[in-house]
Order: sequence, then C-alpha cells, then structure tokens
Amino acid sequence: MRVSFIAFVLIVAPLLGCATASAQEAPRRTGGSSLTKIFESANVAASRGDHAIAIASYRKLIEAGVHDPDVYFNLGTSFAQSGDYPRAILNYERALVLRPNENKATENLRDAEKALEEQRAELEGEATIQRSSSISDAAYGTVSEDALAYALLIANLAFFVALALVSIGRRRHRWIYALLLASGALLLISALGLATKAGLLRDGPRLVTLEDRIALREGPDPRAQLRGEARGGDRGELVDRDGDFVKLRMVSGLEGWTRASGVGLIDSDHGRH
Amino acid sequence: MRILALLVVALSAIPWSARAAAEPEVTVTLSATPSEAQVGNPVRLEVRVRARGGSIEDLRLDDLKKHLALEIVSHQTMRPMQFSFGFGSGVQKESSIANIYVLRPRAAGTYEFSPAVAKVDGKIYRSEPLTLVIRPSTGDARDPSNPASAPDSSPGADLTGARYDPRAFLRTVVEPTEVYFGQQVNITVYLYTRIRLAPQSVVPSKPSMDGFWVHEDPITSLQFETVSVKGQQYRAYPIQRSAAFPQRSGELTIGPPKIAFDAGTGNFFDAPQRIERVGVPLTVRVKPLPPPVPANAVLGNYAIDARIDRRAVKTGDAVTLRVNAGGVGNVNDLRIDLPPIAGVRTLQPAIRDQQRLTNGQLSGTRSWEWILIAESPGTHRVPPIELHFFDPDTETYQAARTPALTFSATGATKAPEPTIQPVDAPPKPSTATFGPIRVYSALTRDRTPVRDRGWFAWLLALPPALFVLLWLGAAVSRHRERRGTTASAVQRKLIREAESALQAGDPRAFYDRIVASITHALDARLNESVAGLPHTQLLARLGAEGFDDDLNQRLINELEGADFARFAASGVNRDEMERCLKRTSAIIERIQRSASAS
Repeated sequence: MRVSFIAFVLIVAPLLGCATASAQEAPRRTGGSSLTKIFESANVAASRGDHAIAIASYRKLIEAGVHDPDVYFNLGTSFAQSGDYPRAILNYERALVLRPNENKATENLRDAEKALEEQRAELEGEATIQRSSSISDAAYGTVSEDALAYALLIANLAFFVALALVSIGRRRHRWIYALLLASGALLLISALGLATKAGLLRDGPRLVTLEDRIALREGPDPRAQLRGEARGGDRGELVDRDGDFVKLRMVSGLEGWTRASGVGLIDSDHGRH
Repeated sequence: MRILALLVVALSAIPWSARAAAEPEVTVTLSATPSEAQVGNPVRLEVRVRARGGSIEDLRLDDLKKHLALEIVSHQTMRPMQFSFGFGSGVQKESSIANIYVLRPRAAGTYEFSPAVAKVDGKIYRSEPLTLVIRPSTGDARDPSNPASAPDSSPGADLTGARYDPRAFLRTVVEPTEVYFGQQVNITVYLYTRIRLAPQSVVPSKPSMDGFWVHEDPITSLQFETVSVKGQQYRAYPIQRSAAFPQRSGELTIGPPKIAFDAGTGNFFDAPQRIERVGVPLTVRVKPLPPPVPANAVLGNYAIDARIDRRAVKTGDAVTLRVNAGGVGNVNDLRIDLPPIAGVRTLQPAIRDQQRLTNGQLSGTRSWEWILIAESPGTHRVPPIELHFFDPDTETYQAARTPALTFSATGATKAPEPTIQPVDAPPKPSTATFGPIRVYSALTRDRTPVRDRGWFAWLLALPPALFVLLWLGAAVSRHRERRGTTASAVQRKLIREAESALQAGDPRAFYDRIVASITHALDARLNESVAGLPHTQLLARLGAEGFDDDLNQRLINELEGADFARFAASGVNRDEMERCLKRTSAIIERIQRSASAS
C-alpha cells in the first residue's frame, strides 16, 4: 500500500504536469498558408534551377520565424547546387541540429564537404576541411536534444521513485536496487548529453566560416595584428563578441577576431545566412 | 542511504538557491599607463568592469576606433569570476571583464576617450573619461618594426625581407628577384630568434605564392646557424624551402610567412609562452621570354630521345613510341605535339614525370608514351620531335631533336575505330547530387527546445521535492510511532508492577512504582527527565508547559505523599494504597490527555 502510494505520487503527478504543458505547446506548431505558398514557390524555383530565387524565398521563411529542418535542408541544397558549399554546410548542419538522425542530410553534408575539398584541391593541390572532433558531439550526435530532455525527466523520475522505495519502503526487493542503479546511470548520461547539446560544455555556439581566407586578428579591429586565416567551411566556436566583431576559436585551435558577417552560427542566429 | 538522499537533495537545490536576486555592485574603470607618452612608445590601455552579484552583458570603449593614429599592437580579454557561499545570503557571484590593449601611438596629440560603457543586468554603468597625451618623439623612441630607423643597425646586417624584432622575427630570402617566365626562384624562410624554442611546438604557415608553380623541399629537422644582426647573436633556422616557377609575367607577390612556437625558459615550473610572428611580403619581377619565341619553348636545359618498341607489325597492331625529355628546369612546362602520321592512328599519350631537387636546383624527366596503330600497310615514319628551350645564362634559344623513326606494317587496311579515351583523363568536377528538394514541410515556427520550456525545470524539480517531503513525513511518523509505543508500554508496565505490589502487600515497592509511573508520564510529556527536580521547580516547569493548577497541585501532592509513604510504610493500609492507585491512574490519564491536546 505504501509503495503504491509513493509510486502514484512520484509518477502520476509529473506526468499530468507534462501532459498539460505539452498541450499548451501544441498550438505553436501551426504554420500559416502564406508561409506554405512561399515554401512551394521556393521549391518550384529550386527545381527549375533558379537557385537565387529559391535561396531568397527560403530565407524569407526563416526570417518569418520558421525553423524547420526541411527548410534548412532545401536551403542547404540550393546553396550546394549553386556552388556555395560553406553556406550549404552551415544549413545542413542546422538541419541536423533540429533532426539529428537523418541519413539524407548527413549524406548531403558529407557531399558538400567533399565538393568543397575537391574544388579547393583543384586550385591549390590539396585541401582539408576542419570538422569538429569532440567525443561528446560524436556520442550524442544522432540523438535529438528534446529526446535527451525527455530521457532526463524520465530518468529523474525513476531515480527518485527507486530512491524513495529504498529509503522509505519496508520491502526492499533486488529490482528496486537495479532500478536505482539503471536510472542513476541514465540520469547521468542524459544530463551530460543535454549539457552537450545545450552548449554548456563548449565555450560558445558552434559556427561555420562562410567566406574563404577570413582574417583572424588579435583584437576586434581591422588594424589589429593578423593571427591567421580560416578557410570557408571550417568549423569553430564563437567565444566572444565586440560590436560587429566576433572572436572565433577554430577546430585547429587558432583564435582570433573577425567580422561577424563572415561566419554563420549553427546553434542559433538562424536568420542571417 | 539517508546521507545519499540528503546529498542528492542538496545538489538539486543548488541551482535554485544560486538565483538569489540582489542589486549588483558595479565598478567601471578606464586607465592608461602611462597617461603621457611619446610617439612610438607603447601605452597600456585597460578597460575594466567589476560586478558583484550581477551578470555583465557588455563592455564597450567606442572611442578606440575613432583614434586611427593609435595602432593596436595587442588585445587581451580577461574574464575572472568568483563565487562565494554565505549562510542566509545564498551564492554571491563576483565577475569582471578586462580589455587590455597595448597601443603604439603613431602621431602626437591629445586623445580624448569618452567613458567606457558597461551593461550589467540590463543597466548601463559608465567609467570616468580619459585623456591620453602623446608627445613628439625626441629620438630615443624607435619604431622596432622598422629596421631602417634603428641607429644601431650594422651595415653588414642584411635584413631585407624581414620585419625586425629584438626577440624573434621571420625573414624571407628570394633568389633571384628578377627572372624570366618559367625560371626557378629559390624561396627560403628563416626564423631568427634569440629565445629558446621548443622544436615540436613550431607551426609554420606557408607564404602564399599565387602565380607560381611550387616544388617544396621539406625540412624534416630544425637546424640553425648563428648569425649576427644589429650586434646581437641570433639563431637562424631555415623553416621552409621552395623552388618556385612563375607561370605568368609581371610582378608576382610572395605573401608574408607566419610562424607560431612556444618559447620556454627551461624551468620546469614555468609555462611556455606562445609566440607568433609574421614576415613581410616580397615581390618578384617576371620578364617574358624574349621574342621571337619558338613553339612550346620553355626555360631550362634539356636533352631528348625517342624510341619505338618494335619495327614491324601487322595492320591493326600497336607500336609504342616513347619520348624522354630530361634536364634542368621544371619539366611540368614541357609540351610536345606529335604531328599526324599518314596511315597511323595515334592515341592520347600517357605522361609520367620524375623530379628531384639537387643543390637547390630542380631537374627531372618527363616521358610520353604514344600508342600508334598502323591502319594501312607500308613503312610509316615518325618525324623528328623538337624541343625548344631558353637558357637564361646565355639568353639564347636552343633546341633538342630526336631522330626520325620508322616502322613497317603488313596486312590489309583496317577501318578507323573510334578514338579511345585518354589514359590520364582530367579530373571531373564534383558529381555529387544534392537534394532532392523536399516538397513537404511542417514549417515549424519558433521552436523552443524542451529544456527551455517553463514546465521543464518544474518537472525536473518535482521528483526530488516530492521525495524530500515523503522522506521527511516518513521520518517524523516513524519517530512519533517509536516514541509513543515505547512510552505507553513502560507506563503500563509500571502500573502493573504497582498493582502486583498492592496484591503482595508491599507498600514500599508500591509507592516506589507510583512515583516512577508519574515521573515517567511527565518525562514522556515534557520530552525531558524530571526525576531529579525539586518539587518547586517541577511545579514551575509544569506551569510553563500549560498544565492547569489543579492537576499540578494534585500531582505534587501525590508525589509528596508517595515519598512520605515509602519511608513510613508501616502506617499505610491497603485501602489507602487502592485509592492512591486510582488517583495515580487519573493523574496519568490527565497528563496524557493534556499531551494529546497540546
């Protein structure tokens, strides 16, 4: 009786709250018919090969607040088909942030990187694109942030139910200890994953450089000493801002200030590129 | 297990307690050291905001960009942060941001800086304004980046291609600086340094060489020679060697080389310092080959030979013609056109190159292999093949020539076949197909991640909070149950013992149990022992607990009576003992009732 009561209080109450909250979120997912028209006209332009119009239309959707993986996928495809591979990489990355475990977007991203490498190798003899190589990004790359958030809630619930049964209940079965250990492990894994996805383990939001050979300087000033160059399509993190300038830390470890217009953020700031 | 539970609860509570809101204490400072300097002397400009209890959102010094005569040599940003924990005051965060600029004034004058602006928790705070006075140079201050201005520059120290720095600098040596189209230019980048460097930390960046075809001479180990520059001994490390061949005439620029390395003191406890240097760009003047230029003429000195692998074939069979051209120069530039041979179909040649750099001079061999298919019978003649080259030393054109070669074909005439694709087909553009475009989308708008939704934090906090409540409730319940059970059992036991003593006719033991029974009831009620208290103090204690005066008086009377009877047991009869037992039971009942009521 006591165990049943504890389980009821700890499980049913949070689930009721979750259901209510999800019901409140549901109306936000609706899209207007005008947005659908813009999307359809962008698709028509893209299939005609009119990439400039397609890109402008997809951007219009994003500026209107649409943050949808399919829109980013189509925008990335339009950029790739028009030969602008750094912007294609940026938008495929954004599509994968919103829908991580998607083969076609991953395949297109790799193709865009390969095409950029080939394009550069043809001009310079050899080329390499700098990609992120973080273990945590690789481990959680195929899991969505929302899935991790829900896993955290469930693991949190299960952990405290098991903890309550162990510390308050009179009958201590082995399965309760097994549940405690399993839910504790899941709690740690999902919390780490969520922290990774939320960027708490990084120094700043992830970015892609959009222009080739952008100058990275000592300070946020065009007169500051040059530290190095970043190539288009390279990955890095935005670690600081000062007016129109942003400080980048590239995957290679190179750091420096450059103008914000030369980079695109993967994790936020979707409206600009 | 309880300790574990408390730990989990305490950890869960930290994020909420950390958000204790308070008015931040903010200090914004703007300072220059020194505030008066001469042209060329470095000035340290520091902008700092320190906030206690608030979150710094922005720190700006807009006027720095207005003073173009103040060159920013370096910029460093520091963000130290401290947390302090205090009972009652929650978590206190003290954070600061400091932007430290090293400026080099390039013109005298008075530079006014309006206050630096900091934004903390949405509110704006300002520093005091600053005035920086730069006086004209008196001659002592020198621009170290310009070796020409350094008076101690010794005439023997050739520093062309370098931006001098007293500690370390890069120098690019280009030989020669005026060449003919296709002539080799040797480019060597040296690192001059007076500080100890960690060889494994050296990361050089190649200078850009647009307009050149470049053959790298890789440097596998850092070796130095000691040279004297401006009277100081430097170690000069060659860090990059290249043989470059201009591919167009005009002025071609070799970009500035770059390097980064760690300078260590050799002391185990000192962290290495990362040093970065950038060299200077250099220009190479490229002259066109003097007219008239023979067909396919290249720069260098070559010999050429040709041979065929068989002299007689059947029609339709193939003969391999191999031509080798070798010598000094860039064999990539060599071009040979095999003229058409009547009655012979010629396929595209396979080309192979071998190159080597010997004593700074690039040489090599280029081989062409043509497949010749005899389509008609008879004797076929491969005409002499000529290679024209220009010798820059004598400034004359020369030619190397192969002898004419012949082979014979027998059999019937073969009809021409479609041309076979070249052996070394040029690389095709990327064939990746992107897409396909998605025609359906939910067009999700303003999607807030689950973790940022308001209910997420509440749902996350709910299980630990409910657990804490349940655990506390269970603990209190267990405590009460245990205390109540124990007290009642002892009470009943004492009364039973008193009844036994009454039956046995043992007044001393009877009154002893009566006193113990009343005392125990009081102990349980007051949560403390009253056994040793004098009756006056006991009376006061009971009064303080809210017992009514009648009960107090009865209780004290019963205790005093029982005490007296214990020492005068012979004068007590059985009836009195039975009445005493009834009174005691009534008193204990009233004590317990008052306990329940309270």
